[in-house]
Amino acid sequence: MNAEPLLIVGILTAIFVGYNIGGSTTGPAFGPAVGANVITKVMAAGLMSIFFFVGAYTIGPQVVTTLGEELVTDTSIFTLRSNVAVLFFIGGALFVGNYAGVPASTSMTAVGAIAALGMATGELNWNELGEIAVWWIVAPIIGFWVAGVVGRYFYPQINAWIAIESKDEGRPMVSIDRSGLVPRLQFGVDADRREITGALTVVAIGCLMGFASGTSNIANAIAPIYGTGDVDMVPLILIGCAAVAVGCFTIARRTLDTLGSDITNLPLTAAIVVAVISSGIVVSLSWIGIPASFVVIATMSIVGLGWGRATRTTTLSDAARGEETRVSVGALTAEAEGERSPEIGEEDVEDIPKASDLFDPSTTARVILMQNVVPAISTIGAYFTFRFVPIFGF
Amino acid sequence: MVSRVLVPMEDSEMSDRALEYALEVFPNAEITALHVVGEPSQMWGHATGLALADDLEKAAEEHAKEVFDRARDIVADADGDAELETAIEFGHPARAIINRADDYETVVIGTHSGSIADRIFVGNVAEKVFRSSPVPVVVVR
Repeated sequence: MNAEPLLIVGILTAIFVGYNIGGSTTGPAFGPAVGANVITKVMAAGLMSIFFFVGAYTIGPQVVTTLGEELVTDTSIFTLRSNVAVLFFIGGALFVGNYAGVPASTSMTAVGAIAALGMATGELNWNELGEIAVWWIVAPIIGFWVAGVVGRYFYPQINAWIAIESKDEGRPMVSIDRSGLVPRLQFGVDADRREITGALTVVAIGCLMGFASGTSNIANAIAPIYGTGDVDMVPLILIGCAAVAVGCFTIARRTLDTLGSDITNLPLTAAIVVAVISSGIVVSLSWIGIPASFVVIATMSIVGLGWGRATRTTTLSDAARGEETRVSVGALTAEAEGERSPEIGEEDVEDIPKASDLFDPSTTARVILMQNVVPAISTIGAYFTFRFVPIFGF
Repeated sequence: MVSRVLVPMEDSEMSDRALEYALEVFPNAEITALHVVGEPSQMWGHATGLALADDLEKAAEEHAKEVFDRARDIVADADGDAELETAIEFGHPARAIINRADDYETVVIGTHSGSIADRIFVGNVAEKVFRSSPVPVVVVR
């Protein structure tokens, strides 16, 4: 029991990681809802905390087991000392990623740090690592493909169906009326049914992403501690989720505007589509115990959605079909003015700005590659630390 | 005598300086401010946001408006009666600039843009243009 001070340090580091996770995942999840002034930041933080916990409690343990027990052949390498170092690398990578505006997948970093520990001690389960790595390649491709199909064939219909307008001023569209005995949801006075549906959809999507984040991310904060066997799963999940909640209510309120801001560059409908696809993939992977690389999956879904929509004009027959869809949508959304459709045959094809110019494979590859830089550096750093710094005793 | 100058511009102080320099050194030239939209970003949100717009051209013009407004202010403040043309391109800045450069005699470009993230995801645009441009390039610092 003389190791107890170190266990406390380990738990404190885990809390630090959880705190940062709360700060960095609230943005992508609730950025669209807060940005469109549907709910307040406090409400976003509250919902994020709740749904993160639900995800962490229900499906989260699958991933915790993978990272804390299966990724290494001998869990005794999770000494309290090495755990502090592993968590330090995860937290450090999160911090650097947030600071430099380079989104880094927390799960990739966590797997990397634990794998580095396993490699340095010769206890790495290569089969497990291989399985995870294969999913890291396959899952983004699935995201790209599904989003591509949606972008190409269904986006206009979804857009017309959701129809939510951002509101920049005034009271949030959805607030809680606390005047009665039971608090109830209150909608903006001028909101009609469609707006309410849209508002609820954006909030529900945030909750879904919070849930997905919980299933996958709780492991990144607590798995090494769980690996020691000193603390049970449920107390660890509760501690981790509390730390995440603190992050949601503190740094997330400030970082909600900046982190995940690239998702807010998307129209709301697109943000919703991307959220549904990537959350679906992340939850499915968590279900089978695979830590998912949310950032890469979401990015490939975004690329797929835009690419699917943009490439409808690459060939003549596609252009014809594409323009047809576009006109019918224009009629639905009453925004037919300014449509390019009439001139399509009259202009030289070269002169029309092509949306497909926006999706150059090598440039996209660079962005995806760069998203792997922070996890890669942290993995290499962790390996050399465990291999050559003597204090770990390996 | 240089008569057609291309000045790639973005929302940065460096590109303002490039335009000021171009106005000073080529007072009689026809200057075109080029803004590239839908550049690579952390999660590709910029490009996809544009691609999903109902009207790509209109959306691109909205994105470029701020940059061009400032460019016009700079031209108005400068001596002489230079006219400013504007142009919008899509995709990766370096590639778009190089594609256009053929129609001009000189490219005047700022050294770099601001953020670390830009450096990482887009790379050094001035350097790429400088290496591959078909026409002479002036890099302003």
